[in-house]
Amino acid sequence: MTDLSRDIAARVQVGFEKGSPIDIGGAGTKSFLGRPSPTATTLDVTGHRGIIEYDPAELILVARAGTPLQEIEDTLDSRQQMLGFEPPFSAQGATLGGAVAAGLAGPRRAYSGAVRDFILGASFINGKGEIITSGGKVMKNVAGFDLFRPMAGAMGTLGVLLKAALRIVPRPEAEETLLHEENDETTALEKMNRWALQTQAISAAAWDGENIRIRLSGSSAGIAHGEVQIGGEKLTESDYWNDLNNFRLEFFKQQGRLWRIALAPMSGPIGMNSPQLIDWGGAQRWLMSDEPADDIRARVAHLGGHASCYSDDPAVPTFQPLQGDLLALNQRLKAALDPAGILNPGRLDPKL
Amino acid sequence: MEIHLDKSIASQDWAKEAEAIVRKCVHCGFCNATCPTYQQLGHESEGPRGRIYLITQLLEGHPADRQTRDHLDRCLLCRACETTCPSGVPYSRLLETGRLMLEEQQPRSGLDRLKRKAMTAVIPSTGLMRAGVGIAKPLRPLLPKKLATQLPLPDKDLTRPGSLHKRRMLLLEGCAQSSLTPETNAAAARVLDRLGISLIPEASGGCCGAVRLHTSDRERGLQDIRNRIDTWWPAIENGIEAIISTASGCGVTVKDYAHLMQNDPEYADKAERISALTLDLAELIAAETAESTPKSELAQDLRVAFHSPCTLQHGQKIVGVIEALLERYGYSLVPVGDAHLCCGSAGTYAVLQPVLSGQLKADKLAQLQLSSPDLIATANVGCQLHLRKDADVPVLHWIELLDRSKG
Amino acid sequence: MSRAKPNSDPLIQQLRSVLPDSCIVSDPASMKPYECDGLSGYRQMPRVVVLPTTVEQVQAVMKACQASKTPVVPRGAGTSLSGGAMPHKNGVVLSVNRLNRILDIDGQNRCATLQPGVRNLQISDAVEHLGLYYAPDPSSQIACTIGGNVAENAGGVHCLKYGLTVHNILQVKIVTLNGDLVTLGSTAPDSPGNDLLALMMGSEGMLGIVVEVVVRLLPRPPLARVLMAAFDDIEKAGNAVANVIASGVIPAGFEMMDRAAITAAEDFVRAGYPADAEAILLCEVDGTEQEVNAQLDRVKALLDKAGATQISLAKDENERILFWSGRKNAFPAVGRISPDYYCMDGTIPRKEIGNVLTRISAMADKYGLGVANVFHAGDGNLHPLILYDANKPGDFVKAEEFGGEILDLCVAVGGTITGEHGVGVEKIDRMCVQFDEATLAQFLAVREAFDPDGLLNPDKAVPTLARCAEFNAMHVHHGKLPHPELERF
Repeated sequence: MTDLSRDIAARVQVGFEKGSPIDIGGAGTKSFLGRPSPTATTLDVTGHRGIIEYDPAELILVARAGTPLQEIEDTLDSRQQMLGFEPPFSAQGATLGGAVAAGLAGPRRAYSGAVRDFILGASFINGKGEIITSGGKVMKNVAGFDLFRPMAGAMGTLGVLLKAALRIVPRPEAEETLLHEENDETTALEKMNRWALQTQAISAAAWDGENIRIRLSGSSAGIAHGEVQIGGEKLTESDYWNDLNNFRLEFFKQQGRLWRIALAPMSGPIGMNSPQLIDWGGAQRWLMSDEPADDIRARVAHLGGHASCYSDDPAVPTFQPLQGDLLALNQRLKAALDPAGILNPGRLDPKL
Repeated sequence: MEIHLDKSIASQDWAKEAEAIVRKCVHCGFCNATCPTYQQLGHESEGPRGRIYLITQLLEGHPADRQTRDHLDRCLLCRACETTCPSGVPYSRLLETGRLMLEEQQPRSGLDRLKRKAMTAVIPSTGLMRAGVGIAKPLRPLLPKKLATQLPLPDKDLTRPGSLHKRRMLLLEGCAQSSLTPETNAAAARVLDRLGISLIPEASGGCCGAVRLHTSDRERGLQDIRNRIDTWWPAIENGIEAIISTASGCGVTVKDYAHLMQNDPEYADKAERISALTLDLAELIAAETAESTPKSELAQDLRVAFHSPCTLQHGQKIVGVIEALLERYGYSLVPVGDAHLCCGSAGTYAVLQPVLSGQLKADKLAQLQLSSPDLIATANVGCQLHLRKDADVPVLHWIELLDRSKG
Repeated sequence: MSRAKPNSDPLIQQLRSVLPDSCIVSDPASMKPYECDGLSGYRQMPRVVVLPTTVEQVQAVMKACQASKTPVVPRGAGTSLSGGAMPHKNGVVLSVNRLNRILDIDGQNRCATLQPGVRNLQISDAVEHLGLYYAPDPSSQIACTIGGNVAENAGGVHCLKYGLTVHNILQVKIVTLNGDLVTLGSTAPDSPGNDLLALMMGSEGMLGIVVEVVVRLLPRPPLARVLMAAFDDIEKAGNAVANVIASGVIPAGFEMMDRAAITAAEDFVRAGYPADAEAILLCEVDGTEQEVNAQLDRVKALLDKAGATQISLAKDENERILFWSGRKNAFPAVGRISPDYYCMDGTIPRKEIGNVLTRISAMADKYGLGVANVFHAGDGNLHPLILYDANKPGDFVKAEEFGGEILDLCVAVGGTITGEHGVGVEKIDRMCVQFDEATLAQFLAVREAFDPDGLLNPDKAVPTLARCAEFNAMHVHHGKLPHPELERF
């Protein structure tokens, strides 16, 4: 339980004055995402940690950025509550700050929301070393610009997160997984999306080329209803979703670059002859492919989505590079928050 | 809403009533959502909230111009906004006040005045209407389709029952309806005859006052009302049970006589009595027929799209009654979207605002005919004739359907 | 419009070169009703109103305005309760009401593409046949537009379970001040770069003009049932709300009304609200029949324990709609008991509801004004309606002071000055209470990133630092700065 806000602010202020880039360091579990600036010095924020407030009745938790997710999850678990976005790498020591910065969410994402949907407010240090507080700890709040939401997924380029207030959800009474044999990609996509209309109990849906797996969460009555709607074989004991979320499935051990494809769920097959694992009911697709990055990105863009390369390859930018008016807007936002461009430069986009 | 009446009118009853109406409005804007002209034009001054704002300006003594009058003229007086309004603002009364103020402040141009004069002269005069129809009828095959659809159809059964029951009610013949769709009242008389009720015709025809009131010819409109009251009064003294309106546009006006004549010492009491006695045909039949009415075989397989006139659903707040009656008699009703919106007929509106009226009619027919009904039924002669011009299926008064089923 | 006197204003002449005459409103009479939105206490005549019918026209208007450094105030249905659409005296009002088409409904991907002038309720009506609906349902949903919903990050009755506007929008297209058309977000779950889509939500028209919106659609739950619980004490009702949520039930909607609001709403809808109750709660649960029944049992037991004097379940769908209709129409229905009302919108932690309501009631006595409370209890979003008479000199000023004191209290107990209505012109000074100088300066810098000339909806939502200095000086003059020591969370 240490508050290092002022120390961190002072470090950033020095960086601002000298124009020297800073690489914000957490537990490093997602260091494969984005390309850090070679000239940056690391600012370790893991010491700034601790749960500041947890009010189970209000469904809120406020914690410092360096707090390990595991600590938060254990605390919530003791009161039958949980984080709504199922972040990966808790067991490896991931911190709240890193989870927000990377914006990665687990299998539940397609049915319950993204990281940014569970943040109610945040304090962060901008690129000038000032402490900025946006949002709050109540469910509804439209005072001021919601600067805390873009913190999710910004890879630390807009500010150094100090603390965040999170909306917490009750842990479902029960959970179970159903298995359906299915070889055809189009049929699998169609089924996963049809079932999502038929029951609210779905909390995850994935297809691995051979089987569809559906996770049901909720009250026992809700799950029973889902079972009737979907049918299939009930898997009694399954670490599948946890393994999927933490890249531990056999799929991820194959040769090739790992690509994350984001699409509208019913966009249809990408049509590449590479191993594929479909998650989020079709909206997130993992691809193992050594095809040229530009080819993959063009193909996905044609379907209205975008592709990120999750393999650490200096030749390929992790995230789809921005262009045109959208790049210009992003650059202006970056400049508004980090005028000297010292916070994680290049980590999200080579031009940011 | 805030309003400070102009000193020159502050002591007048009508101005005080208008002030009270404005004060009820909280400016929420819900009314615009169901206003046909706002939905067509997307302009704040073409919706009830904007028009209330403009009338407030008038009442506060700010000078008005032609634009103000154009905005008020475009109101259909359909009163959908009154149904929507959570604050209970009697908008139509305020609008009529606004229009009257403008008639004084902003004299109309020659052509505009002529159009209005012609309409308020012809329609309310049953004699003139009849004469016009009589000349045109033999020419029907030669007339353009649009005009031909406005004339009474030749194969309609116009016979009325001769028997006299103990239960007697006065039938409003209606100025336009008695000439253009005489089959409606004939059908109503037959249906009620089977229910043991005789309809007594009016001693002489004439307009209920609606046409002139809606074109801001208030004094002559009120005179129409006095004439009607004088015509009906002997029958009322003779003990008729009720006054029956088969055209919702007339019914809504007669039901409002009590309010319209409240400041006329000679007629106020009579008007109140008449308003209390007046029923729409649907209210009467719904009360007189049992839930268990056997379904008619004639009705089977006929799919009906029902158009509820604004004067019925918004003016008289009679909602779902005719639909339930038709279903009870075995007709199947098709779903109709945006049923709360006006068809664009709105009394004299179709003549005075032809473009907007035409757009509203096209939208209304698209909704009515979406599920390919066999026919369209409605409850007001104005809507019936207006829709008939462009409809692909027959447009009837609903009572004709009940009559066919021998209900 | 076309008959308007020729106008010598060079801006209007320039607009005539890019817009048909029928899309320009410049005569004083036709413009007059644009001088305010749903907050009629604040008024300002605009210089001109434009009603574009295409995105290209919006772009052309923006270019013309940027070139002449003319402020632009976007306007949807004008239902804002914070003056968000109040015109600027030198500015253009850009109304999106003629951009009101539903462009596409994609049942498979469960989304719909809309022009900004589409009404909120129109969306759910249009997709009902697919078993889908659009979840955020502000009480003005019959009239308010999706463009306005984006600008205000609108909430509503059902956002307790299904989220605010920000959680239900996939993509927007905006026209920037220099006329560029930019797409933010995507029908994919995320998109490259920073989450500018989220930043756009609730930005009160200051970052760009929304010209197209893709909304997420949700499957209609198989069953929804609502129960009404009456209480003889408002604090008990407030505590009941906190207890239900704390138990782990997330109702689809959880609303509260006090006696004054009950009276007004009942007069309009005849929903059968108990006239003698001090407060009622409406609690809706949805899901499958078994789920609903199980949740209803739990909620009933909790409400009972909290001291409900009467609990009744809407017997069918019609009665359910009726129960909600009273709630949704409650604001304007208050027009039946008071000529004017001033609506507050603070959010507080649920556990503070009872305490705050008691203190509001004490303030009402102090100011000598009535107050009706009708609000989203489940997420602690209060809507005290301060009853006043605009015709009485000084009444509105008193109502404003009363409102300000309520908002200060909301901030003091850990809440916010606005949950869903936005800051607009109305609460702009209270921003100085809720945010410190560095944060306000940061907001202004972000605004400048999108709008370097400060032309989009100026003087709204974010105060200048000079304005705050002035406001705080006045506040200090009355006593001490409200809660300077307070860490906001």
